[in-house]
Amino acid sequence: MEFAWYALLGLFFAGYLVLGGYDYGVGLLLARGTDPAYRRAALAAVGPFFLGNEVWLVAAVGILFGAFPMLEGELLAGSYPAVATALTGVILVTAGVQLRSRPDSGRARARWDRVIVVGSLLAALGWGVVLAGLLQGVPLGPDGHVAGVTHLFTPFAAATGLALVTLVAAHGATFLTLRMPAAEGDRLRPLARRLIASAIVAVTAATVVGLLSDRVRAAAQRPLVGVLLTVLLIGALLAARAALGRRRPGVAFTATAVALALPVLLVGATLWPYVLVSTIEPAASLTVTDAAASAATLRLLGWLAVPLLPALLGFQAMCWWIFRGRTDGRALVYW
Amino acid sequence: MDTLLLARLQFAATASVHFLFVAVTLGLVTLLVGLQTAWVVTGNPRYERLTRFWGQLYVINYVLGIATGIVMEFQFGLNWSGLSRYVGNVFGAPLAIETLVAFFLESTFLGMWIFGWHRLRRGVHLALLYGVMLTAYASAFWIMVANSWLQNPVGYEVRDGVAHLTDFSALLSNPALWMALGHVVSAALLTGGLLMAAISAWHLSRRTPDHALFRTSLRLGLVTAALAISLVQGFGFAQFGPVGALQPTKFDGNPEADALIADWTARFGAGDYLPPVLANVGLGFMILIGFALGLLWLLVPLLWRDWIIRLRFPLWLIMLSLPLPFVALILGWIAREVGRQPWVAYGLLPVEQAVSPISPWLMATSLIGFTLLLGTLAVTNWVLLARHAARGAADPALGRPPAQPPADDDTRPEPAFA
Repeated sequence: MEFAWYALLGLFFAGYLVLGGYDYGVGLLLARGTDPAYRRAALAAVGPFFLGNEVWLVAAVGILFGAFPMLEGELLAGSYPAVATALTGVILVTAGVQLRSRPDSGRARARWDRVIVVGSLLAALGWGVVLAGLLQGVPLGPDGHVAGVTHLFTPFAAATGLALVTLVAAHGATFLTLRMPAAEGDRLRPLARRLIASAIVAVTAATVVGLLSDRVRAAAQRPLVGVLLTVLLIGALLAARAALGRRRPGVAFTATAVALALPVLLVGATLWPYVLVSTIEPAASLTVTDAAASAATLRLLGWLAVPLLPALLGFQAMCWWIFRGRTDGRALVYW
Repeated sequence: MDTLLLARLQFAATASVHFLFVAVTLGLVTLLVGLQTAWVVTGNPRYERLTRFWGQLYVINYVLGIATGIVMEFQFGLNWSGLSRYVGNVFGAPLAIETLVAFFLESTFLGMWIFGWHRLRRGVHLALLYGVMLTAYASAFWIMVANSWLQNPVGYEVRDGVAHLTDFSALLSNPALWMALGHVVSAALLTGGLLMAAISAWHLSRRTPDHALFRTSLRLGLVTAALAISLVQGFGFAQFGPVGALQPTKFDGNPEADALIADWTARFGAGDYLPPVLANVGLGFMILIGFALGLLWLLVPLLWRDWIIRLRFPLWLIMLSLPLPFVALILGWIAREVGRQPWVAYGLLPVEQAVSPISPWLMATSLIGFTLLLGTLAVTNWVLLARHAARGAADPALGRPPAQPPADDDTRPEPAFA
């Protein structure tokens, strides 16, 4: 029962990184060039999906609160600066994308676009640090509270944050090669390939820093799984790069999507059966079972929420289906 | 500095701003459903223009509802980790359901609705707006279930200091829930209706060329607001009985309150178990505003033969009354939320046990940072709303037909996944 909910939590957070990830990637790419028409076209490519993407985060945190209350408080409060950074980024992006085209003046729109760029950067960086924070263990005391927040500031957390920034940038660029009009998509292909290459470098660097870190080595319960999934992640990025070279943007986007979902699986599988590993008191480490809500609550959520899951995913799929294909002259521009 | 005070201030600030926007969202979407249904049923293009104009304002307003909502959701974990630790088993369930079955679907539907103009069949497009409305009401319902549980914890038992769910149906039949839900929902309708009436009145007072259009929305908004204020008053006064019985300390001193405080002092130790005076002062003002807005009924007969427009001064009265429901919304929440101090969950979890054990400096930074961020965004959002409201219904961006399609209509590329 706990495992099913843990998997569902992972599904929604990974879904958020994949879907929100290309929002942020497209957001980061607004920094390049000053051509307002290009920026508007890039946002039109995200267009109908934007509102449905960010709510995967809302759902993930809802599951976190409902099914893993013990984890919710300690994880969020214990990673306060990282979560606050990510949250600031999420807010800036959501407001920026939806409001940037409401003023008429080009100057105001350019200002909002800078807000989106900064927001995308903060969101990717923040979530990267949160994931790294889990992987390197937290100072969880016998009283069940995480002591302080300075434990977050490590080279590994910085490297992971940076790696996630490059990952979303590569993912966003790949999304645009898939979704923008064919000519524009072709023009973006070299950039996407370069970004994927830099993501490979950044992920490798974060992995090396992680392997060198005592805390990460101590916290990892299944180091082999962790390394294996990292190799898989890099493999996905290589595949994406190769697919772009062969003009298969659909395959490339699938591969970068896998690359964005894998970090969640990696953290979950490497720490299993724990979810918060204590760096100061081994007995204080929190297992998934301990973190879960009591059986009655999980049963209730199972009865009320799970039957609706097909509807949730179905309506999302309906959105993807209706607005499938490249944007063209008939696509509505609103953001 | 005191971490607890800072955390309370931050929650009060976020929740207040959040409520100003979601009340408009809930009220306006209801009216919008009426307008679009009228368009689909009658085929009258005036209703299409009305749907686009009010839809655009709705969508702009929605942005801050989401932004503040996400911050609130995270704030439970960031600032109130004790809340999830001690009562998360019970309180977390309705919140989780709200995010999954309401918030998630609402945004998905809205995204399709905004981009579905000229693309989806009219019936499907309308159905999406119905979906947005139903999930918005579902959202209000589950949030009120969660909030009512904090007001009056039911259906749980405490084992090892942690509350466990025993009876979920008790959460749904919580006596603190239904009257409050009716009160809040009708307050949202009042706010949405009055906003619609006031913006229409502004255009009519300036002799807009879109006279027929704004005449329609003035009538719709005013009648909705008048009906809603009576509901607000009814549900509001109906709450005094149950709330007074459930929370004796909320209103002025009485024997039950003294007995309860003696009981708490025995169980939780000595402390100040009375809420700050602020809560009741606000309540008084809110009731005054409620009575004042009841006078909206006096304007309804003036709809006959458009006297309301011809006389002009009623239009000004409507415009001047626009801030009132917003002020009342805040005061109402202060009465409900500050009135249960010093408890997070009344008689079960004191606020000082629920606040996260983090440094006051971190909390202060968070308070200042997020309040400035959301405050700036809220003001910007209102400026944009005002500008778009003032611009009129000539050509809102929402539902604007896409650029002319290429001459050969079949050049649309194949889906890239195929």
